[in-house]
Amino acid sequence: MSEGTRGLLLSGVGGQGVILASMIVADALLGAGFDVKQSEVHGMAQRGGSVFSHIRWGEDVDSPLVPKGSAEVLAAFEWAEAIRWVEYVREGGAVVADVRTIVPPGACNDRRSWTARYPGIDVDLFNDRELKTRLIDAAATATELGNVRAANSVLLGSVAAFLDIDMAHWESAIERLVPRGTVEINLAAFRAGREFPQARVPRPPLAPEGFSGPHEIDINHVWCKGCDICSRVCPEYCLAVDVDGKLNIIDPEACTGCRLCELLCPDFAIEIHPPRSPVAVSDANTAGGGT
Amino acid sequence: MADVKTYLREWAMPHVLCPGCAHGIVMRGFLAAIDQLQLDQDKVAVVAGIGCSSRIVGYIDFCTLHGTHGRAPAFASGLKLARPDLHVMVITGDGDGLAIGGNHLIHAARRNIDITVMLLNNSIYGMTGGQAAPTTPEGAVASTTPAGNTEPNFDACKLMIGAGASFVARVLAANPIEMSKVIADGVRHPGFSFIEIISDCPEYYGRYNKVGGGADMLTWMARRDAGVAVPLSEKKFVEHVPSSAVPLGMTTGVLERDIRPVFTGVRRQEPL
Ligand SMILES: Cc1ncc(C[n+]2csc(CCOP(=O)(O)OP(=O)(O)O)c2C)c(N)n1
Ligand code: SF4
Ligand code: SF4
Ligand code: SF4
Ligand SMILES: [Mg+2]
Repeated sequence: MSEGTRGLLLSGVGGQGVILASMIVADALLGAGFDVKQSEVHGMAQRGGSVFSHIRWGEDVDSPLVPKGSAEVLAAFEWAEAIRWVEYVREGGAVVADVRTIVPPGACNDRRSWTARYPGIDVDLFNDRELKTRLIDAAATATELGNVRAANSVLLGSVAAFLDIDMAHWESAIERLVPRGTVEINLAAFRAGREFPQARVPRPPLAPEGFSGPHEIDINHVWCKGCDICSRVCPEYCLAVDVDGKLNIIDPEACTGCRLCELLCPDFAIEIHPPRSPVAVSDANTAGGGT
Repeated sequence: MADVKTYLREWAMPHVLCPGCAHGIVMRGFLAAIDQLQLDQDKVAVVAGIGCSSRIVGYIDFCTLHGTHGRAPAFASGLKLARPDLHVMVITGDGDGLAIGGNHLIHAARRNIDITVMLLNNSIYGMTGGQAAPTTPEGAVASTTPAGNTEPNFDACKLMIGAGASFVARVLAANPIEMSKVIADGVRHPGFSFIEIISDCPEYYGRYNKVGGGADMLTWMARRDAGVAVPLSEKKFVEHVPSSAVPLGMTTGVLERDIRPVFTGVRRQEPL
């Protein structure tokens, strides 16, 4: 290993833009005159697997792989990914982590408690090793700026705060590499991430809600993926998915029991039960009769 | 009627399919069909190939086999010959069944072996990242046809009628009640039954072709239908129709139903 070579890790799950972010970091480092090597694994990304990228830079870099305990910065685009990779960060290094949780299907299949086996936020993990940490709700910041998809630029901005590279190199890398038409929002997100106040308290990960028992509209929040199908097909506007992707019952009284939501939910996550004390059939038949 | 979850491996849920993927709706519709038929769970064998659609067999509580890419009809044929007492079914995708596995599919149809094939057509290779399939319509964008597909696509049902399938139907995931009924009819039919289920892939097809997410794709699907199916919920379906999608007319319902000798490995004059 040549002297003075430094390393950085980016990790996340499929679809978060980890690879694009790592291209931007590499490009900014190249612009700053370093020798840069980058290597990535994006195997089962499309099926929710983890994606990570190693970047090393210096005078003359031999290998792109960051050895354990040596990374300057870890940028985790998802909470569990921060925990998975934290060992790679050097003592006194920095961790930039998104507090969003993307629970992989394999981790939330406890059908008795309806809870996920998913790590909670434990800041001691970082404090013990005297790591500098920034725990960010990047999606919320990006949403405030107008586009949730710029969340990765928020994180990148935070990474930049720990690296001594001229802003001009970052900005030109972003301009060059993000999709056309999104340059402005990504630059804004990048700046927001860079200026992110250290003290901002992260939102704890959303614990999947308990199975709520027999309701007329019964939502299984552990299985629901917030796809919005049920709420869009409901003729009575009973349901709505909120900004966190959580499905809520907004008008329980209006439900007619048509079961469209149940039949079209791809995830078996919504069930309609008849009212608990149905009108007796004979009453229903006689009431208002006389044709 | 029982709860469809009786037939689900609940311990394996939630499934891996993307939010809004219609393959999940088809899975539910299939379980509802089995429930209508009141078949013994241990006598139902479902064979799949490879693809997002084929992943369904991981979650349904029957005798299941997740085989190799395109070969589900071959596994299923062998199984039916060895165990004629089982209700043998295949879940396959358009890439799995019509590209790499097209050959197995046409020969199973030609033999009129008594299996039921459900082909989930989302017009794309979902699992591998949205490459064009033999079902991708001309002009549609896929990861391998960024400027629009220049090839014509298969009509899977015509192909199967030509190959000799004795029951051929097309249904929409957007119309789950009809879907379950037709699947049940196909299972009851003696001989080779082929049901093309128009499913969707919001993650790739929907995104690349700017149709939108799961709900938009269902609307779009209902609009493509030129046959018997009707949109389920006029009110909301219609209001969200995205303008950029060009509907592709197609006929749904049972398109072919014929009784002819069933292949059992020995020569027979009468259908079983
Ligand atoms: C022999 C072989 N070739 C290629 C592949 C890669 N592969 C996996 S799934 C797939 C396409 C599946 O498409 P489709 O059947 O339409 O399923 P979908 O994901 O769209 O439901 C391909 C080409 C493979 N797994 N095995
Ligand atoms: S059953 Fe019908 S009315 Fe009730 S929530 Fe579902 S779609 Fe809406
Ligand atoms: S259709 Fe199912 S998965 Fe989608 S938001 Fe509704 S309950 Fe959740
Ligand atoms: S890639 Fe497409 S077909 Fe596969 S699970 Fe996702 S939406 Fe469904
Ligand atoms: Mg497909």
